[in-house]
Amino acid sequence: MDQLLQALVSGLLLGGFYAVMVLGFSVIWGVMGVINLAHGEFLMIGAYMAWGLFRFFGMDPFASLVLILPFMFLVGYLLQIVLINRIVERPHLMTLLVTFGVSIAIANLFKIQFTSDPRNVAVAYNGSVQLAGVTFPIVKTIIFGVALFIMVCLHLFLQRTRLGKSIRAAAQNKTAARIVGVDINRVYAITAGICIALTAAAGAMLSPTQAIFPFMGPPFTLKAVTITALGGLGRIPGALMGGMVLGVTEIFVSTYVPGIGTNLGVATSFILLVLILVVRPQGLMGGLRPIDAEAE
Amino acid sequence: MGAEPPANKSTERSKKKPPFPLLAPVRSLLSGWTGLAFWLLLLLLLALYPYTGVSSVALFVGSQIFVLVTLASNWNLIGGMTGYVDFGHAVFFGIGAYMMGILVTGTPLLISPEWGFWQALPVSGVAAALFALLVGLPTLRLKGPYFSIAMLGTLVAMREIARVLRPITGGGVGLNLPPLLNRLGDYYLMLAVMGLVVSLIWWIQRSEFGQSLIAIREDEIGAEMRGINTTLHKIAAFMIAAFFTGIVGGFWAWQNTYIDPDVVFVEARTVEMVMMSMLGGLGTVWGPPLGAVVIYYMEDLLWANLFDSHLLALGVLLVAIVLFMPEGILGTLGDRSSTSLGRLLSRVGRSK
Repeated sequence: MDQLLQALVSGLLLGGFYAVMVLGFSVIWGVMGVINLAHGEFLMIGAYMAWGLFRFFGMDPFASLVLILPFMFLVGYLLQIVLINRIVERPHLMTLLVTFGVSIAIANLFKIQFTSDPRNVAVAYNGSVQLAGVTFPIVKTIIFGVALFIMVCLHLFLQRTRLGKSIRAAAQNKTAARIVGVDINRVYAITAGICIALTAAAGAMLSPTQAIFPFMGPPFTLKAVTITALGGLGRIPGALMGGMVLGVTEIFVSTYVPGIGTNLGVATSFILLVLILVVRPQGLMGGLRPIDAEAE
Repeated sequence: MGAEPPANKSTERSKKKPPFPLLAPVRSLLSGWTGLAFWLLLLLLLALYPYTGVSSVALFVGSQIFVLVTLASNWNLIGGMTGYVDFGHAVFFGIGAYMMGILVTGTPLLISPEWGFWQALPVSGVAAALFALLVGLPTLRLKGPYFSIAMLGTLVAMREIARVLRPITGGGVGLNLPPLLNRLGDYYLMLAVMGLVVSLIWWIQRSEFGQSLIAIREDEIGAEMRGINTTLHKIAAFMIAAFFTGIVGGFWAWQNTYIDPDVVFVEARTVEMVMMSMLGGLGTVWGPPLGAVVIYYMEDLLWANLFDSHLLALGVLLVAIVLFMPEGILGTLGDRSSTSLGRLLSRVGRSK
């Protein structure tokens, strides 16, 4: 019973992280229909930035979000203007190939800069708290809290502000949005900026809990696709739900299947993904655009 | 920007003449039987090449290029002709390499067969083809980007599985194969495999089978309406591509004498296959081999001058090719025969 409760709590905490990790991916896909295969690499950049700030300036990973968020917003904004806006109207395959190329380039750039040695961010509060017989790792609990906060902020931004409304308008009907005077290219660039900043923030928060290395990205990209398939495109409650489902599944597999450890997390999410896509191509909650005859 | 009515696009396209009219005779020579004749002549010259007394380094370089040409042509069969862009094709390479490694070393769990190279090589290919059947049955039902991502997932997942199955695969430590150096044998073996694969692609493109694959790429539902068994065709093409990729993987493991999950299940190898095909011309017969040779020498140059950053350059190059040359070398030179995937890529506007 205790083991079950513990697994459930660990899974939910992990799910909170997954939810904030997937937001950027899911919103980019939902708003401009771009599947960003370099998603995991932006997460990796965030983790490296947190590591650098911690290592050389003694900055706490959560405090460093203040610097990482605006910087990565700029990176995302520029990337969108320079690269992605040129091809966003083309077939999906093209953006897929371009982001794939970007991901390889970024990962290898970081390998050259920082070698492939794993880096660690050893924060002082790396312990855990016992509560009603369940262990709560402090860092992961903080991540969970910050993740919820970020999700609420993003939700309010998209629902209440003028800019958020124009982003949603661009997602729903690009032509109509253009007619009523939304500058699509600017909206896309701002969306990409926000999404990539959020992704890097997730990476920064992840940095105290796992080793950082240049090739850590692809598993996260894969998990992001799975969660998006589970929870739907660009929906914040969907991302939370999908993240929780994946987190709990992963923890349960590693708890109850002996001799496997957490390494098979990727395989789990992959099997989940293929199952969902084959059984329900529109995604579990619907909303994935069924792409028929993509080559058209 | 991209919101022009579709009628405009089609008239604009029909008016557009193929560029470089001077190259028209070359284009017509490359198509059909004369193309095959040139290919066989080239193979013959390459077979005579070792008799000119070249060093073993040159033979090694030769076999490496043949490996790349074979991989590119294989990828082109599923990615270019059938239009299923496979981001995880290196998984078959890895399966083949591991099959070879397991069979010739005999790991603790299996009743160590310790086979020879020649017995293990076909098994590597068959294992990869069977794996393609297993994976293809669910994933080939997915369309467009979903297929690409599912295959990328297969690759990442297989890497983790190979790491975890320590009793069979040696886990992260990897497998050491018996080192037997035979550069001349390697050269002729890969020359034969390459000759076979490219000739096969040539034949497939002319056959009803290949035309069906192209029909699937252009309009899958339409192809099905015309009575083409799309599932069977896709699976068959996938298995053929996987079989030869597995053979190449097995050979590579033997030549490299060491494999672990991080050297055989790598995304970079998939990127190479995609790039070689795209650079040459997706869906053409002679494009991918041409692209493979160009990429090999380009990488060689980068490797010599920039050493560490050649993969970085590869990623940037992929972006550049997609942006500026989506039709590949042959397509840009005006070979309109079967590069329509590239043309589709460069067209503005999404599917309905």
